Amino acid sequence: MNVLKVPKLAIGVFILPALILYICIVFIPILVSFYTGMLDWNGIGETKFVGFENFRNLLFHDPVFWPAVRRTLLYAVASMVEIPFCLIMAVLLNRYVRKANTLVSIYFTPVILSVVIVGQLWKTIYNPTSMGGMLNEVLTSVGLQSWTHTWLSEPKIAIYCIYFVSLWQYFGYHLLIQFTGVQNIPNEIYEAAKIDGADGFQADRYITFPMIVPIFKISIVLAFIGSLQSFDLIMVMTAGGPAHATDVISTHMYNSSFLSMKYGYGSAIATFLVALCLVFTIFINAVMNKVEKRFG
Amino acid sequence: MKFNLVKGLVFLLIAVLVVTQLYPLFWLLAYSLKTNEEILGGQFFALPAHWRWENYQEAYHNGHYLKYLGNSVFVTAVTMICVILLSSMVAYAISRFKIRFGPAVMLVFLVGMMIPMQATLLPLMKIFKFIDILNTHGALILPYIAFQMPIAVFILSGFIKSIPTEMEESAFIDGASVYRIFRSIILPISIPPVMTVCILTFITIWNEYIMAATFISSESLKTLPFGVYSFVSQYSVNYGDIGAFMVMGAAPVILIYFILSDKITKGMVAGAVKG
Repeated sequence: MNVLKVPKLAIGVFILPALILYICIVFIPILVSFYTGMLDWNGIGETKFVGFENFRNLLFHDPVFWPAVRRTLLYAVASMVEIPFCLIMAVLLNRYVRKANTLVSIYFTPVILSVVIVGQLWKTIYNPTSMGGMLNEVLTSVGLQSWTHTWLSEPKIAIYCIYFVSLWQYFGYHLLIQFTGVQNIPNEIYEAAKIDGADGFQADRYITFPMIVPIFKISIVLAFIGSLQSFDLIMVMTAGGPAHATDVISTHMYNSSFLSMKYGYGSAIATFLVALCLVFTIFINAVMNKVEKRFG
Repeated sequence: MKFNLVKGLVFLLIAVLVVTQLYPLFWLLAYSLKTNEEILGGQFFALPAHWRWENYQEAYHNGHYLKYLGNSVFVTAVTMICVILLSSMVAYAISRFKIRFGPAVMLVFLVGMMIPMQATLLPLMKIFKFIDILNTHGALILPYIAFQMPIAVFILSGFIKSIPTEMEESAFIDGASVYRIFRSIILPISIPPVMTVCILTFITIWNEYIMAATFISSESLKTLPFGVYSFVSQYSVNYGDIGAFMVMGAAPVILIYFILSDKITKGMVAGAVKG
């Protein structure tokens, strides 16, 4: 209670259990990871302290690393591009459909399915023609035989196939957030605008979009963080292959530590990933706050 | 006339999206009832010629389904209870207690939201090995609780801040302790956002498989998604069985979601708008 003081013991009882657990499970591992990143260690045998050598190798001598960073950032950008579309869909649903809630719930379905199932579904869709892949089947049936590919096995396009799955899966998630945001704008504002002669898309331009900015920002930040952390979908679909063509930072980290048993090196990548996430979150928050000030 | 054209296009778009977003459910169900030939034949919109319910029987017998289901229920339930309890207490303390470091605590949780779970996999494995809980359900439950807490604290504190303080003040004057106020006033009022947190936690934890795959190695301790994954990768005699196993794995979350779906929306916004 803002006005009343509670005993010190109560403060401890309410805050400490959660805080201690949280710090032990989330923050201490990050510190451990930073330290392990300076070791030459295969997980079982002798450890050797090598200082920043792992980080140096990572930044200057690893042919897989920078492309993985680029793919991670591209992933983030791609997932943010989807959000304006979600907002437009939310506005359209709100205007043209009476029981839109049900539709929004339906669109949300892919979000609740486990990546194992989503991965399996899309693998069968992307399968080569010889294995009855659906996408190729469809392309052939409409006469676009020349467009068929072996999708996930082609290094140049595999990662885009995965981006698409991710966009598809999270469409409903961001639509839900935008839709509830649109619904929460008080109706009176639209009525007043109508009297003043602003209706339909004009009302969207001057009322909906400015008022949705805070919710829009939440979606952007969530999409951004989510894609920097993207991991399990790629693990299930390609595990970073073919020939590292779909590696993002986190899969590179996982493969280095758990498959190549370079624990020190993997930890260095993990540390880099955490740093990148923190820096970019601050960055995107700053950008969004500017946007909010301007339009909000 | 022009208006109708716009409306028609919008409905077409809506319909196309319904098909693309619902197709996986249809695909999964059809897949689970087909024969190998039908699955490999690439007839994606076709229903099975003969509905092979025996796929389910085989999957059930070959896949330790009940074992995995029990493990998933246990892990998810314990996680949910702890997440609700711990984060509502913190949320209450942050939004109501007169403490200087309240915003700092909130910041700790918000910063944690940005930390990718995968980055902790390796160190956590080391730590769990050291305290000897690797390959137990504890090794899953602890990180599950921790990684679900930020969003829960965020949603719950947003809601608690919006509750008028008068009730608590009069309860306090009547001599109720802070624990009593929390239990008898705050928790009952916060049911809607708590439901949202429950559903979000449930969906995430029920489907989580990377940690399960990393920290658990005993067959008897696996949770469903990992169980499904091992089944998919090891068992390839009959594809229909794999489909059936996936349906059985997804059924609980789909059922619960469609029963409670409108509750997610309400609480999510309550938290998001105020936070």
